[in-house]
Amino acid sequence: MNPTVEALYRDGAPDGAQIDRFIKDNEFPLVEPGHVTFIYRGAADEVYLRRWISGLSTAQPLQALEGSDLWALTMELPERSRFEYKLEVIQGGVRRMIVDPLNGVLAHDPFGANSVCQGFGYERPAWSLEDPEASHGTLDSLSLTSRAFGEQREVQVYLPARFRRSRTYPLLVVHDGQDYLRYADFGTVLDNLIHRLEIPAMVVAFTQAHARLAEYTGDPRHARFIGGDLVPAMATRLPLIGDRAGRGLMGASLGAVATLHAASEYPDLFGQLLLQSGSFAFSDLGHHKKGPVFDPVVRFVNHFRAKPHAVAEKIYMSCGVYESLIYENRSLLPLLQAQGMQVHYEEVRDAHNWENWRDRLRQGLTWSFPGPLWMVYE
Amino acid sequence: MLGPQSAKPSLRAVMDRLQVTGPVVSITAGWRDSEGELDDLRKDVGCPVEDLGIYQRAEAIFAQEPELLALHRERQDKLLELQQLYRIRLNAAMAAARKLLRTNGQADLLRLEQRAAIAQVRALDRHHVRRIAAIHRDFNQRLAGITVPTAREQREAVHRQARAAGLVLISGGHVAVLLNRIRLFRLEPLLAVKPIIAWSAGAMVLGDRIVLFHDNAPQGRRDAEVLDAGLGIVEGLVPLPHARDRLDWSSRTRMALFSRRFAPSRCVTLDGGSQIHFADGRVTSAIGCSVMLRTGRKRKWVPR
Repeated sequence: MNPTVEALYRDGAPDGAQIDRFIKDNEFPLVEPGHVTFIYRGAADEVYLRRWISGLSTAQPLQALEGSDLWALTMELPERSRFEYKLEVIQGGVRRMIVDPLNGVLAHDPFGANSVCQGFGYERPAWSLEDPEASHGTLDSLSLTSRAFGEQREVQVYLPARFRRSRTYPLLVVHDGQDYLRYADFGTVLDNLIHRLEIPAMVVAFTQAHARLAEYTGDPRHARFIGGDLVPAMATRLPLIGDRAGRGLMGASLGAVATLHAASEYPDLFGQLLLQSGSFAFSDLGHHKKGPVFDPVVRFVNHFRAKPHAVAEKIYMSCGVYESLIYENRSLLPLLQAQGMQVHYEEVRDAHNWENWRDRLRQGLTWSFPGPLWMVYE
Repeated sequence: MLGPQSAKPSLRAVMDRLQVTGPVVSITAGWRDSEGELDDLRKDVGCPVEDLGIYQRAEAIFAQEPELLALHRERQDKLLELQQLYRIRLNAAMAAARKLLRTNGQADLLRLEQRAAIAQVRALDRHHVRRIAAIHRDFNQRLAGITVPTAREQREAVHRQARAAGLVLISGGHVAVLLNRIRLFRLEPLLAVKPIIAWSAGAMVLGDRIVLFHDNAPQGRRDAEVLDAGLGIVEGLVPLPHARDRLDWSSRTRMALFSRRFAPSRCVTLDGGSQIHFADGRVTSAIGCSVMLRTGRKRKWVPR
């Protein structure tokens, strides 16, 4: 049992005032090296920890602590790990999925919010937090006519602080751009890394799909939108570096599939790809079991695995070891390396979520687009 | 030549030693957009300082002279690409040299192979500087063939200001930008005859070769690279600003290779408080500097 909980029970079951003090004096979940203890306080018939860690059961029961309305679960957790969870509270036959009321740390995504468990030693990177010394870039909407989709598409364009037309800039195109901005603080990260000279001042196009599950799963229209519509439109409007070394494309999850697919359709267009937790589902034999949404993904990845080719000069890949996708990402790695591309692969104790992708941005961006820090000696 | 001035400013003390007569001007082009923000600098030196403003003047010239801007961009693109090509060859040559330095074997066999591997890196560095010089020559020849009145006017104004100066301060910052702007305004001959105090990147451009290095960058370590020839105002010296933070002194092989690669030039640290005094192109004395040895260690530097 966690030593703090043990201390609470040293003289028998605690009374209400002692529990109030215990709740007030501690941060939850209770974290110690190698372990984490979840606490729930309230009336319930059953309480479960619901989390999505590959290889572990998705629901683990909390135990009622004798003589109190407390529930607890201690589990192993390697240091610096991070995962998202909810609590499932069952009472009178009613099931409720709730964020942990004792844990104020939340991660947001397009489906809502989850509680975040940060293992011993985890700290949110300082470069992902607002730095008052960093100048802000600007974000403006660009509306362009997409011949690929036959409609107008809106793109959010980031221009770095002190943008000048007399200079040329690298271009990075980001899938799920609005989500990256909202849930991974991409704008703040860009401002900070540019301010620290760790990446060059760059132009970033944040795109958002209209029908993500169709467009990001190997849709040739999407590849044409990126390669035939967006990049040329950006190049005519802004002073961009004219060769592939100055261009990058990135995405997470299905956005990484869309990235690899677009790059494979336009293999000379992008020098850098950043692939975060790519949903690179494939089947070696028989049919996959990931559902019909993944049919086109599997077709594309199977085809790419059968006829692999270089799609960029450098690829940064990352995946959380608590994701089921770790298998697909590890499988893709040697294939990409064998095509003569430089591949930087990173595994972390994290799962399939925006904060994982946020925490990897520095490594991915600085490796893909090294900044002038190398040239600056103050 | 001084180490970084932010934590341990030593400008005032050095200026007192120099007994400056005449106006003090600064070149802070390495600060790029912050060029000319001199409040702290003026406080440090305790006297009026005027900046030559060559970074912002260049921006204004580029806006007025599209032909010059196009030439400039073309040269910068070529230099960038050449640096990438050099890096491909350098990575392989350095990896081989490093591996040989770490290999155990018959001493007589190994020593010759190590020497040959380092000689290859040195030859590559020399080749790279020659290729860069050819790009600069081409730029200058083509520049001579176009009319750039704004550039001429601005250059003359800068030269007038620099000629009247009793001392030139050259700050740190972006070393490539600093070098580029000094050359664009053809300040080399003027600087060669003026008392100068230069720190960090400013000190780097005074040498005969500019060496970029950072073992602790977020994207991982890279081998040191030759950026370009310097102004050659001080010879036989590779100044290493922020050496304490930027170099991995725990890797003896890495430091030994660094030192042997650039010999006979001395690789000398320029950390906070360091000073190197020079006259007529030669170093005369040094304070608070260490020299990198061929063993990969360092020791206090006493120039002879």
